[in-house]
Amino acid sequence: MIGTCRPTRRAALAGLAAALAAPSIVRAQEGAIRFGTLTPLTGTGGTYGPAMRDAVIGAVRAVNANGGLLGRQIQIVSEDTQTSPEAAVRAARKLIDVDGVAAIMGTWASSVTTAVAPLCWESKTMLFTVSGADSITQLPHQGFIARTQPNSQLQIEVASRFMVDQGGTSFAWIGPQTPFAQSSIDILTAVAAEAGIEVESLIYEAEKSTYRSEVDTILRSDPDFIQLGGYAADSTVLLRDLWQAGYEGMIIGPAYAVNDSVVEALPAEVLEGVFTWEGAPAIDSEAYANVQQILGVETVDPYSAQTYDHANLAMLAIGKAGASSGQAIHDHLREISQGSGQATGSAVSGLGVLPGDVNYDGASGPCDFDEIGDITGTQFLFKRFENGAPVEFERV
Amino acid sequence: MLSYLLATLTFAGIYGMLALGLNVIWGMTGMINLGLAGYFAVGAYASALLTTAAGLPILVGAAIGIAAAAVTGALTARLTLKLRGDYLAIVTLGFGELIRLIAANEIWLTNGSDGIPGIPGPFRSSLSPLEFNALFAAITVFAVAFCWALTERLRRSPYGRALRAIREDETAAAVAGKKVGAMKVQAFALGAALLGLAGVLYAHFTSYIAPDVFRPLLTIYIFLSLTAGGTGNPTGAVLGAVIVVVILEGSRFAEAILPAMSGAGAAALREITIGVLLIVIMRLRPEGLLAERPPKPLGATR
Repeated sequence: MIGTCRPTRRAALAGLAAALAAPSIVRAQEGAIRFGTLTPLTGTGGTYGPAMRDAVIGAVRAVNANGGLLGRQIQIVSEDTQTSPEAAVRAARKLIDVDGVAAIMGTWASSVTTAVAPLCWESKTMLFTVSGADSITQLPHQGFIARTQPNSQLQIEVASRFMVDQGGTSFAWIGPQTPFAQSSIDILTAVAAEAGIEVESLIYEAEKSTYRSEVDTILRSDPDFIQLGGYAADSTVLLRDLWQAGYEGMIIGPAYAVNDSVVEALPAEVLEGVFTWEGAPAIDSEAYANVQQILGVETVDPYSAQTYDHANLAMLAIGKAGASSGQAIHDHLREISQGSGQATGSAVSGLGVLPGDVNYDGASGPCDFDEIGDITGTQFLFKRFENGAPVEFERV
Repeated sequence: MLSYLLATLTFAGIYGMLALGLNVIWGMTGMINLGLAGYFAVGAYASALLTTAAGLPILVGAAIGIAAAAVTGALTARLTLKLRGDYLAIVTLGFGELIRLIAANEIWLTNGSDGIPGIPGPFRSSLSPLEFNALFAAITVFAVAFCWALTERLRRSPYGRALRAIREDETAAAVAGKKVGAMKVQAFALGAALLGLAGVLYAHFTSYIAPDVFRPLLTIYIFLSLTAGGTGNPTGAVLGAVIVVVILEGSRFAEAILPAMSGAGAAALREITIGVLLIVIMRLRPEGLLAERPPKPLGATR
C-alpha cells in the first residue's frame, strides 16, 4: 500500500508547489495600486455581483486612461464571496495577504461583511460595503468600514411612514430571515401604532419555489398594504403568489428586491401598482450618467451605483493623501466625501481639483459619512409600477 | 503571502477534519450523512456561545463544543437506526438544514442571522495577524494529525473491522454477533465529534459565525474531498481535502493566467471545475486516489 501511494503523494506535492509558485510568475505590474472587489458572483447575491464589479472596473479604467493615480496605474483584483461568509473569508485573506489591496469594495450580504470586517481592520485595509444590517457599523472597526447603503432602521422608518401616508389601514410585513427582519417588523409596528394601525408579520425561509401557504397566512389578517422584506429571487415568487391569491391591496418592496430581473420574470399586470423605494440615486448627476454608460443600462441598480462610488471615494482619498495604503484612505475619506469643497462626480474630475478641496457627490447620493461610517443625508425615492415599468412617484 | 498560505493551510486542515469525521460515519460504517454542516454548526455555536456570552476559557468551550456535537450525533444515529441509504441521506440533509434554521431563527440564543462576532482566538490580542495565523495553523495541523492517527488506529483495530462488516452487510454482521445498533451509534457519535471539532476550529480561527456559513455548499465540498481522496481511508480523506482547497484557492490565480476569463466567468468556472471533477473521479476512479485496502492487523510485521 505504501509503495503504490508514493507517486501519487509526490504528484500531489508537485501540484501544490506549482499552485503556490504560480502567483509569483503572474504577479506582473509591480507598483500598481491594487483594489479588491469582493462581490457575490455566485449564490443568492449572484444577480447583483457582476454589475457591481463592472461598475468598479469602469470607474478605475477612467482614471487609468487619464494617467492613473499618483503616477501609478490602478489594478482591480476580483474575488467571489459565493454569498458565503466562509468562502468570503478565504477570498479576503487572498486579497489582503497576496494582492496587498488598499481597499475591499462591494461586500453585499451582511454576514459576509461581518465575517471579513475583522480581517480588514486588523490589516488596516479599508472596507466599503453595501450591507444594510445595523450591527455592522457598531463593530469595533476603528473607522475601517464605510457603507454607502442607508442602515436598515432608516430605510424601514421611511417606508413605513410612506405606507401610513398612502392611507393604508391594515399592514403586513413579509420577508425572509435576515439580520434586519425582526427590527423591520418592530419599526413598522411602532410607526403604524402611532397611526392606530395593526401589523401582521411573517418571516419565511428564503429559496423556496412557492410561498402559497405563507401568502394564505398573511392574507388571513386582511391587510391592504404589504411591505416586502426580501431580495429579488424570493420577491419574484412572492409577488406572483400574492397576485394568484387575488390580493388587490397595495405592496411596497425595496428597489433592490423589485428590480429589473423581477420585471423580466413577471407579467406587467402582476407588478401594476407595486411601490418600490430606495436611497435616491442622484439621477441627474455626472456620476449616475457615468455608471449608465459603464454598464450600458438605463436604470442603474442601487448596488452598482454604490460600488462605483466606492472606487471613486478610494481613489480620491488616495489622491488627497498622496499615499496608497488602506490607512491613507481611512485617514482622508471624509476630507473628500463631504464638506464645502468643489462638488465632483468622478475621480477623474476630482483628481484635477486636488490638492484643493473636493466634495464627492456620487451616483448613489451625496456620500457623506458620520463618525461610525454610516451614510447621512440620504434622500429616498419612491416609484410606482405603471404598465410594467417603475415611474417616479415621490421623493422624501 | 505567508499569512495567506498559513490561513489556507488552516482551512485545508478544517476541511480535512470534516473529511475525517465524514469518513468515520460514511466511509467506515456506511451511514451516509448529508447533514454534516449541522454537526459542524453545533460544535462552532456551542464553543462560540460559551466563550463569548458565558466567558469561559477557549479550551472549555472547545471541549463542550465537541461533546455537544457527539451527543447530537449519537441522538441522530439512535433515531435513524433503521434507516439506510437514500432514506438516511434525506433525514440527515433535513437535520443539517434544521440546525441552520434554528441558528437563524432562535435569536435569543444564537443572535439570529446577525451571527456571533468577536469570538476569541488563542492569544489573538497579543499576537500580530501573521503570528496568530501561524499559531492557529500549527494547532490545526496538530489536531488533524492527532485525529488522523486516531481514526487510522481505529481502522486497523478489530472494532474498525466490525464497522466495515456493518457497512458491507448489516445482517451478516449481526448474525456474527456484532452489536450493530450500539456500534452504529458510537461510530456516528465519534464522527460527529470530529465534525464538531472542525466547527470549534473554524469559529475560533475566523472569530465570526453565522447561519450562512453552514449552508449545504460546504457539505458538497467535503463529500468531494472524501470521494476524491478515497472513501474509508483517513489518509485519503486528508489528501482529498487538501486537493479540494488547492483547487478552490488555486483557481483564484487562474484569472491572472487566463486574462480572458474574468469575474463572473472565473467564478462560474470554479463551480464547474468542482462539479466536473466529481463526475470524472466517480467515472474513472470511484474508489478515490488512495483506495481503501484491507489494513494489516495491528502488531503484524511488514
